Amino acid sequence: MSTKQKILVIDDDKDFLYATKVILELGGYEVFLAENGKTGVEMWKSVTPDLAIIDMMMETWGEGFSVLSKIRGTETGRDIPLFILTAVDLQGPFQSWGPPADFPKVNMVLHKPVKGDDLLRYIAREIGHKSI
Amino acid sequence: MMEVQTPLFLIIDDEESIRDGCKQALEKSGYRVLTAAEGVEGINIARESKPDVAFIDLKIPRLPGMVVAETLSREIPDTVLIIITGHATLDSAVEAIRKGAFDYLSKPFSPGQLRAFAERGLNHRNIKVEARRLREEKERREKGFITFVSHEMRSPLVVIRQYVESLKAIAGNRFDKEVDEIIERCVLRIEGLEELIERWLDLSRIESGAFAQKKKKLSLARIIAKCAEETAPLCEARSISLEITIPEDQLIIAGDEESLVRVFANIINNAARYTPSDGKISVSATCDECYVVVDISDTGIGIPLDKIPFIFEPFFRVKREDERHRGSGLGLAFCKKIMESHGGMIHATSKEGEGTTFVLKFPAHLS
Repeated sequence: MSTKQKILVIDDDKDFLYATKVILELGGYEVFLAENGKTGVEMWKSVTPDLAIIDMMMETWGEGFSVLSKIRGTETGRDIPLFILTAVDLQGPFQSWGPPADFPKVNMVLHKPVKGDDLLRYIAREIGHKSI
Repeated sequence: MMEVQTPLFLIIDDEESIRDGCKQALEKSGYRVLTAAEGVEGINIARESKPDVAFIDLKIPRLPGMVVAETLSREIPDTVLIIITGHATLDSAVEAIRKGAFDYLSKPFSPGQLRAFAERGLNHRNIKVEARRLREEKERREKGFITFVSHEMRSPLVVIRQYVESLKAIAGNRFDKEVDEIIERCVLRIEGLEELIERWLDLSRIESGAFAQKKKKLSLARIIAKCAEETAPLCEARSISLEITIPEDQLIIAGDEESLVRVFANIINNAARYTPSDGKISVSATCDECYVVVDISDTGIGIPLDKIPFIFEPFFRVKREDERHRGSGLGLAFCKKIMESHGGMIHATSKEGEGTTFVLKFPAHLS
C-alpha cells in the first residue's frame, strides 16, 4: 500500500514541530503541523489523521486540554490513538505529570524531549507501519 | 512616589484625662490622634483606621487590654502597640510584649515621655513596614525567577535536544564514527546543563519554601535502606563494599521523604565516586531522645583540609585530575539546605588518602 499514514502534531513551538516532523517523515509518515489549538482542531477535521500528538504545555495549559477534548468529541476522533506531550512538572521536581482519572482517553504520555527511536516505536505500536 | 501621610495614633484608655492629655501632646507634635474609652471600641477603630501606633491601657472596660493587644497584633501587624500600665501590672506588660506589643509605658508619664515613646514607635513601624515590603519583594522575585528559569531556559534546551534527535534520525548510519561521537558529546553537555538548571531550581525552591515543606513522621532506617539499594549497582560495578549498621529501632524523625532520599543518595554516590576499587563505604546511625545521627564514611581519596569549609557552597568543586563525571557542583549545597529545612545539620571530616566521613544530625521526632 502506497498511501502514507498521517500524523498530526500540535505544539506552539515551531522548532519542536519541525524537529519532530523530520523524525516522523524519516519514519515514513505523512506529517501535518499545527502551531495552535484552533488550527489543530480544524486540521484534525480536514486531514483526519491516523494519530495525533498534542502538546499539553501550550500558551495555557487549558489549550492542550481543550484540543484533546474536542478531538475526542468528534466522530472520527473517538477511537483514534492520541499522544500527549508534557514537560517536567513545574510544581515539583520529582513527579512528572500524569493525566487525572476524568481525563479524555490518552494512549500515551510523552515527555519532552522524545527520543526519535522511541517515538517511532510507540507510534508503530499503535497504528503499525503500513507504508513500508 | 509614596504619599507621605501624617502619622496616626490611637489611644485606648478609660481615663478621660489621659486620653485628652495624650491627644493634646501628640497633636502638638503635628500628629493625628484617635481615642477610644474601652476595648471593643478600640479594636473597631483600629481595624477601620489602621493607626501607625496604638497606645493600649491594660485595664479597660469590656475587653482586657491584653486581648486587644493580641487581636491587633494578629489582625493589623503593621500597627505598633505600646502598652500603658500602672505599676501593679508590670508582669502583664511583659506578657503583652510576648504577645506582640513593642514596648510599655508606665503611668504616670509626662508629655515628653509620651512623645519619646511615640517617636520610637513610629520608627519601629517604619522598619516593620519596610521589612515586610522587602520580604515580599524577595519572595516575588524568587517566584518570578523560578518561573523564568523553568520556562525561558528549559524550553530552548528541550528543543535543542529534539533537534539532535532529528539530526540523529537524518544521519542514520551515514556519518563517520567521529561525527556521531561529537553529536553524543553535545548531548552529554546539554544534559549536563539541564541537570544544572534542575539542581539550581531545587535550591531556589527550598529557599522559597516550595520544597520539602510537607514533613511527616518517617523512618530514617527505611530511607537509608532504600538509598543503599539504589546505589548498590554503582558500588558493585566499582567493587566497593557498602556496609550498613543501624540500630533495631526505626530512627523516627519528622521529614520529607523524597528530599531526604536524595540527600542520602547524593552522599553515598559521592562516596562511591571518590573511593577507589576495593574500598568500603560504611553507613551507621545512633539515636537518643534528642537526636538521630547518621555517619557515612568512605575509604576514598579524601578532601583537602583547607577545602572542607567550602564544600557545601554552591558551585564549589575540589579540583581533581582524571575526573570522569563532573557533577553540578550543587549536590552538597542541596544536602545542606535540606538538612537545615529539617532543623538538622551536616558536616564533614576528612583525611586525604584515607577517607571522608559525613555526619548528618536530625532532631528526633518527639512522640
